Amino acid sequence: MSVKQTFTFISRSPAYASQRASLCLEAALAAAVFEQEIHYVFMDDGVLQLLTDQNSQAIGQKTLSKLLETLPLYGVENIYVDTQALAKHALDSADLVLDAQPIDDSQLAALIARSDQVLNL
Amino acid sequence: MKFSLIVYGAPYSTEAAATALHFAGAVIDRGHEIYRLFFISDGVHNANRLAVVPQDEVNLQSQWHELIARHGIDSTVCVSSALRRGVIDQGESERHELGAISLARGSSIAGLGQWVDAALQSDRVVSFG
Amino acid sequence: MSSLHTVSKAPQLGLLAQCLAVATAGDAVILLEDGVYYCLKNPEELPPAGDVALFALAEDLSARGLLERNRAGIELASYVEFVDLCCKHERSVSWF
Repeated sequence: MSVKQTFTFISRSPAYASQRASLCLEAALAAAVFEQEIHYVFMDDGVLQLLTDQNSQAIGQKTLSKLLETLPLYGVENIYVDTQALAKHALDSADLVLDAQPIDDSQLAALIARSDQVLNL
Repeated sequence: MKFSLIVYGAPYSTEAAATALHFAGAVIDRGHEIYRLFFISDGVHNANRLAVVPQDEVNLQSQWHELIARHGIDSTVCVSSALRRGVIDQGESERHELGAISLARGSSIAGLGQWVDAALQSDRVVSFG
Repeated sequence: MSSLHTVSKAPQLGLLAQCLAVATAGDAVILLEDGVYYCLKNPEELPPAGDVALFALAEDLSARGLLERNRAGIELASYVEFVDLCCKHERSVSWF
């Protein structure tokens, strides 16, 4: 497989209550193994995955934010956060475990329009 | 064109599995090819061979099975979703000494790499959840 | 490079507006499953679609008793037309 494609992952759901957030992450890591161009967007309530001070041991799950912190180590370097969603929850970048680029709807529209694959969870 | 379908929804609990099945039929009716069906998350239950469905209801698992067999479609079940949900092939059954096999004949268990491969090899990828 | 978006959840989740906010002129949206309940709305109650074409899956409208209640006047598409829409647009984005 020598082809290289642009994959955009839109993670719109909070962690823990559903599998969507971790599924989106697993899929991105799989695409990273195949050395694809990857863009990872935390949108809407997906931004809540990035909050600091998470400890999900008490609910019997792995702490998602710890896994998300490893994204850059796996070659996922284009990470974006929906600034409108952060504002909606009265949060800012200091509340997040990762440095992410701000993205708005028109920038996301442009990103989707140049992607080969969009996974939207 | 070459299509791949990614199915997230369990049969009967959501409509997504039935939507994907009808869509797959329409893809073939239109003369296109299905490169791969990829079942992930609760979607792996579509490839459970042990389901028993009342006779007056649609048996989605057997309809998938017929479609896959009739058209020789690659049907792949995501390993991490499948094992957790008890969708087990012979190899996993032996490895974990489970004494039962539940994966539908004609489907196989593989990793998310097969989803990436489907994305790279298909003209169109459509997700159903 | 245009996209076909699928929206398969009921209007109260607001996915159509979210989808249209990141759609590009020339894209299309097909409403599936409970997404077809958008058809019950009056056209002015739908989120503005601009240059994005809206379709709804006829089989899902029929199942829900909506074929004669498509107040929104959304264009209907069959499964085969859904496949054709996928061919027309280079990628699909599923909203569920």
